[in-house]
Amino acid sequence: MSTALRDLIANPNAAELELVARYAMLPEDARRERAFEAFAKGGLPHRRIEGWHWSDFKAALQVIETPAGAGAMEDPLPADGALVFAFTPTGFTWPEDLPEGIRVLAKPEAQAFGASEDMPLGALAAALAGGKSKPGTLMIEVTGQDLPRLHFRFSGAGEANFARVQIFLRPGAQLTTSESYLGGAGFTASLMEFSLQKGAALSRTVYQRAGTAEVLAATASVQLDEGADYTQTVLAFGGKLARLETRLTHQETGAKATMNAAYLCAAGHHADLATEVRHGAVACVTRQLTKGAVLAGGRGVYQGKFFVPRNVGQKTDADMQHNALLLEEGAEVFAKPELEIYADDVECAHGNTSGALDANQMFYMRQRGIAEEEARALLTEAFIAEALEEAGELEEILREQARAWLAR
Amino acid sequence: MLKIENLTATVGEAEEAKQIINGLTLEVPAGEVHAIMGPNGAGKSTLSYVLTGRSGYEVTGGSATLNGENILEMEPEERAAKGMFLSFQYPVEIPGVPVMTFVRTAMNSQRKLRGEDEISAPDFIKKSREIAKQLKLDAEMLKRPVNVGFSGGEKKRLEIYQMMMLEPKFLILDETDSGLDIDALKTVAEGVNAMRSPERGMLVITHYQRLLDYIKPDKVHVMAAGRIVKTGGPDLAHRLEAEGYEGVLGEAV
Repeated sequence: MSTALRDLIANPNAAELELVARYAMLPEDARRERAFEAFAKGGLPHRRIEGWHWSDFKAALQVIETPAGAGAMEDPLPADGALVFAFTPTGFTWPEDLPEGIRVLAKPEAQAFGASEDMPLGALAAALAGGKSKPGTLMIEVTGQDLPRLHFRFSGAGEANFARVQIFLRPGAQLTTSESYLGGAGFTASLMEFSLQKGAALSRTVYQRAGTAEVLAATASVQLDEGADYTQTVLAFGGKLARLETRLTHQETGAKATMNAAYLCAAGHHADLATEVRHGAVACVTRQLTKGAVLAGGRGVYQGKFFVPRNVGQKTDADMQHNALLLEEGAEVFAKPELEIYADDVECAHGNTSGALDANQMFYMRQRGIAEEEARALLTEAFIAEALEEAGELEEILREQARAWLAR
Repeated sequence: MLKIENLTATVGEAEEAKQIINGLTLEVPAGEVHAIMGPNGAGKSTLSYVLTGRSGYEVTGGSATLNGENILEMEPEERAAKGMFLSFQYPVEIPGVPVMTFVRTAMNSQRKLRGEDEISAPDFIKKSREIAKQLKLDAEMLKRPVNVGFSGGEKKRLEIYQMMMLEPKFLILDETDSGLDIDALKTVAEGVNAMRSPERGMLVITHYQRLLDYIKPDKVHVMAAGRIVKTGGPDLAHRLEAEGYEGVLGEAV
């Protein structure tokens, strides 16, 4: 490794040196270089960086290695009737036959990533995606409607799994996508970019599960044009550290975003749901509901921000709710809801609660003969269910996954 | 059936604990309905919570047995499986859990604790339909989340529905008449009376004599300051209504 490369990151740890080494092995590419430099400027984000205080990647990711006992985890999201794009630490598979209305390009080179400064781990995914058997950028153009769901699966044992996907919905296009992060790699970083043109509609579901030795950063960037409709549902179980971040911009008037998430964290599991929504156009709508439940030794983090600029953000209609249940002593939840509003004619609301299960409800259920554990599971499932209601055909599967976790 | 002897109990934590039940003795034999009346703060609702095992209520002395079994050491769900049922003064709302799911889960949990087989779905639905009809409950209501958005009368009827579905051995009705108009009161009372049987005991807690016109008790107990201070026949309730607690208790103490 050249000295210049080694010096890219100040005081690197072993994991960061490994990331530099991986970058050095990839073919030279000016855009890739810019993305990597954007990451390298700060290195792995740590507790002293704003927005990363509760989710310290530098501490969680000391080395990059195949986690002990990493195995194949079954994907609960059905592949039947879907077009499956599977990323593993060493490979990539994609469907041979594509219907009309979907065009896929697996490009070896990186593409420019404009927001790389704000999303260091997204920039890292952009810089390190690619290599011998994986695309540098997977570009998907969608022009049709009534298309099969596009399913992106990130799994398989190995050291690290990097991927970058760009999805363009042309005017009026409609699409459903899903992502399954199933663990297996010591470090997984993905960058998903969604661009919805005029009147396009996208429903995105994300399922995330990882072991207590696995670190994940799933970053998404979303741009909405006039009248575009974006719906996102996340179900996250965390990992050693799992951050699911979405940055969304309303670029043109009348766009609508629904961004819901549920997190369930057991001992040793840390899930960080981070979102930032920029109301960069008049009369756009955002609805966000995040629900979480955490057991002793688990950690849930919610960071949500609505940014409404003075001139362009008028008539914004936005609502942000986060509600968490601390199921046991020793459970941790950190929440930072932020509204940054400079426009004066807006409707923005937010709410944030965390607490234990309602003792009255627990007693009522137990008086009827429902055992304590079962009562707790029923109440918790009912509590988070609302956040999964927009997942369409996948709602019931997500609920089953939540139920199975609660029944453990 | 239910036998309570010299029971003492406190409410609250550690230094804040306050003794509410003060040496209460009471026996309700199988097949009988007993009423407990008493002024506010006498400890009537506390007694119902102590008997059903609500946390925050600590038994400091005495005993309570159901058919000879000490119930005070059991978890609330074990007591339910043994047949204890409390109709709540303020039934609790449970958002997101439909009535049918709730009652079926409760029924099967109880059966499991007793080592019995689960009820089949068709049997459950058939039974539910019959009871709902009897209580004039809308089938749609049973698909809604437990007590959410229900009127006071609907909540009380739903308590009786659960009681009839679960067929407990011993019923405690805590202020079941509160919040009911006369028609709802009659429907609820009909449900309760349908539950009367030689194997089943009932304890009816009430402020007013009104409910006892519809659910005729075998005995009436007057509770004050955490214990039973007077016991009599159904006529005692009428005397309380006419003379007030002071009048009756002044003579009793």
